Amino acid sequence: MNAFCLRIKNGRRLAAGLVLALLSAGLSSGRAAAGDAFARGLEFSQAGEFPEAAAAFRESAKAQPAAGTFVNLGLAEWQCGHAGLAILAWEQAQWIDPYEPRAAANLEFARQVAQVDAPALKWYEAVSTWLPPNAWVWLAGIALWLAVGLLVLPGIFRRRPAGWHRLLAALAFGIFLFSLTANSGVVSRTQIGFVVKKNAALRLTPTREGEVITAVAAGEPARRLRTRGNYVFVRTLGGAGWLERDEFGLICPR
Amino acid sequence: MQNRRHFSNFSPRLSRAWRMANCGRRLLISCAVLAPFALAAQTPPHLPPGGLIQLQVQQPGVDITSPVAATAGFDPPVARVGEKVFYRVSVDATESSVAWPDPPPVPAGLKFGAKTSGQLTQMQGNRFRPFASFVYEVKPAAAGHFTVPGFPVLVAGTAVDVPAASLEVTAKDAGLPAPRQLRLDLSETNVFLGEPFRLRVILPPGPNHQIEAVREIELNGDGLMTDKTALQQAIEPVNLDGELRPAFVAEMIATPIAAGRQQVWAQGFTAGTEFTAPFVIRGPASLAAGPAKYVLLVSDPVEIRVRPLPVAGELPGFTGAIGKFFADPPRLSANRVQVGEPVRLTLTFHGEGELTRFVPPLAPRSRDWQIIADPPPATSFTLVPLADDSHETPAIPFSYFDPETGKYVDLTIPPLPITVVGEGLPATVAAADDEGNAQPPLKLSVPARRPGETAGSLKPLQLRPWFMGLQLAPVIGFIALGLWDRRRRYLEAHPEIVRRARARRALRRERRELQKAADAGDTAAFVRHAARAMTIAVAPHLPANPQALVGRDVVAQLAGGAAPQHLATIRAVFAAADGQFATQPPLAPDLPALRPGVETLLQQLEEKL
Repeated sequence: MNAFCLRIKNGRRLAAGLVLALLSAGLSSGRAAAGDAFARGLEFSQAGEFPEAAAAFRESAKAQPAAGTFVNLGLAEWQCGHAGLAILAWEQAQWIDPYEPRAAANLEFARQVAQVDAPALKWYEAVSTWLPPNAWVWLAGIALWLAVGLLVLPGIFRRRPAGWHRLLAALAFGIFLFSLTANSGVVSRTQIGFVVKKNAALRLTPTREGEVITAVAAGEPARRLRTRGNYVFVRTLGGAGWLERDEFGLICPR
Repeated sequence: MQNRRHFSNFSPRLSRAWRMANCGRRLLISCAVLAPFALAAQTPPHLPPGGLIQLQVQQPGVDITSPVAATAGFDPPVARVGEKVFYRVSVDATESSVAWPDPPPVPAGLKFGAKTSGQLTQMQGNRFRPFASFVYEVKPAAAGHFTVPGFPVLVAGTAVDVPAASLEVTAKDAGLPAPRQLRLDLSETNVFLGEPFRLRVILPPGPNHQIEAVREIELNGDGLMTDKTALQQAIEPVNLDGELRPAFVAEMIATPIAAGRQQVWAQGFTAGTEFTAPFVIRGPASLAAGPAKYVLLVSDPVEIRVRPLPVAGELPGFTGAIGKFFADPPRLSANRVQVGEPVRLTLTFHGEGELTRFVPPLAPRSRDWQIIADPPPATSFTLVPLADDSHETPAIPFSYFDPETGKYVDLTIPPLPITVVGEGLPATVAAADDEGNAQPPLKLSVPARRPGETAGSLKPLQLRPWFMGLQLAPVIGFIALGLWDRRRRYLEAHPEIVRRARARRALRRERRELQKAADAGDTAAFVRHAARAMTIAVAPHLPANPQALVGRDVVAQLAGGAAPQHLATIRAVFAAADGQFATQPPLAPDLPALRPGVETLLQQLEEKL
């Protein structure tokens, strides 16, 4: 009986080890592929072959999204003449790392050259840019359960609730409430995107024959409201209308 | 199929004609383009009033003042019963000016067929004179002498007398030659709607084997469209009644435009040596001498069957091309272009069908390319990239209908790889502060040397269902802690539950040891564990420490008093257990006899716990 139990325990350990090994192998292979593509992109950039560099950086970003990769992708796209794709890439770099200095500088430069505006953020969206999106949700989770734990656990473990318990719980609960607004800002910002094609036609109806309301410049920010078929209904600074899907890129593609 | 092969030999000549037409067109275009430069330095000549009239080419006038004459006659004038005869009336006027009575006065015994008419302009002296002819096919049903009486017709409002004409019909062969007729030879008689086919109008040699040209050739019949631009004339040997003889042949292309069974026949005027177009002479031939004698001839009707194209299976890009076609691999003039820079896509088609009616593929619509098709019959395209995200040229759908298989065949021009380079954007811009003072120029950053901060995905955790599920883990933990605390408080209020639980666990442990001792035949251990198990089982009821209990306590706890056999068992067990500490141990009990009683007793005691 004991030998049988021992065998079962050994089997579980072996399975857990295999799963961990597979996970780590998958992660490391993805990182390796991303690293190779990143190195290739750098070589192409130095050689002035920007379309090829953009393709390599895009491949790297697909395998492992990284702020530096998006910065370089934006530079390559800019050199190819794709202002919209460049601005989108730098915004994605800032999405991952809000304090990436090169992305911020390049965005300022690109918007001045292309004469387009930055997206107009609501106050809670602006707050959400202080930290990376995932940091906010972890912060909210930890703060909430810390507050709950500080209030509940002393009673369960028959400890007298100390003053610092209550103080810390109040602080954690306050952080939780504050991070809720930032989290809603993060979710709201996932609908923000940028026009990636030059002079994209903003149409009145989601059809190819739809009346053109206006032409939108590449890099112009827009907020996605809904989707129908091959078209997305967006609200830009100049008005609302339908754009073709490949004319519009979200910061956070789904 | 044989006809197809036969007629496919004419394709090179057609392509030569095309090339000549193209050369002529290019020459004209070049002249038109260069004319302003050539004439720019010239001074317009000063012409006196009325001088411009002298520059015009003088053309012969049309004679409409001479008296109109009409002739009539049967061809031949003598015929056998049932033989074909033509009644022909000719008028020196235009066909439209003649108010022709249809039918004319017909004598009994003659059956007139459908009327055929035509006109041409003949040169008389130095003036043109119109000439119209009306022909009926007549089949005499009986022998005799028949006369179509003279009758008046109105020509441009003036009455003109048509003379009488007589026909002698005999019962036996008069030995006269058959009337002259045109022959109509079709390459296909079973065609699809829109499928071009070739036809030849043949005029057999006349008397003395003299060849005559045919003018104003026309095809009669509904639902047929002829292409006279592809008319070819020749004098060549033709199989006439099993004999190869030189004859005048006019070849043209016809396209059926209505489905169903169609009757087609040809008509034309004999014109002596008046060939109105270039012609080819193959083999020996003698041409008719003297002035042309214009006679309107007709051919026997030929029936063709026109089938509609199948609707099912029609492929994209079908432009009406019917036949069998092949395309050479498409060629691009460049494989790397800038946005807005045109590139030529050269396509070459070959075929077994009629390339004169070949409609090249139409330019498709594309968002990323401006596609301009060369004017037909050229088949190439000019492509202009509008965006630099294209990596290949657009596919150009094209298909044709193969009449042999009766199916549509895909001949789509595939996409070709091409690199489109966009216009670059500036990497630096001048900057100034609010007061207009120059500042260091803004410029792009240098590339990052490392990927830097990474993320598993751009999609935030807030939108991932698994992360929301992960938040349940602390909830479950807190619930578990709460339940544990509740149970702990309950047990604290009811200590007997704990004692009984402990007793049950200890009793099971002792029973396992008891079992082992019994299996090993160790009587001493057996009675020791049996006594301990009994005291453990009754201790929670007293309550007392099990080590402080004796056999009497066990007996007292048995419900309804102990049965005699249980009393004996208890005494035997406790006596043997206590006897182990005596100076003279008693005799060991019989283990096999004791074991069932002990087990039954312990079972009863455990049930009470």
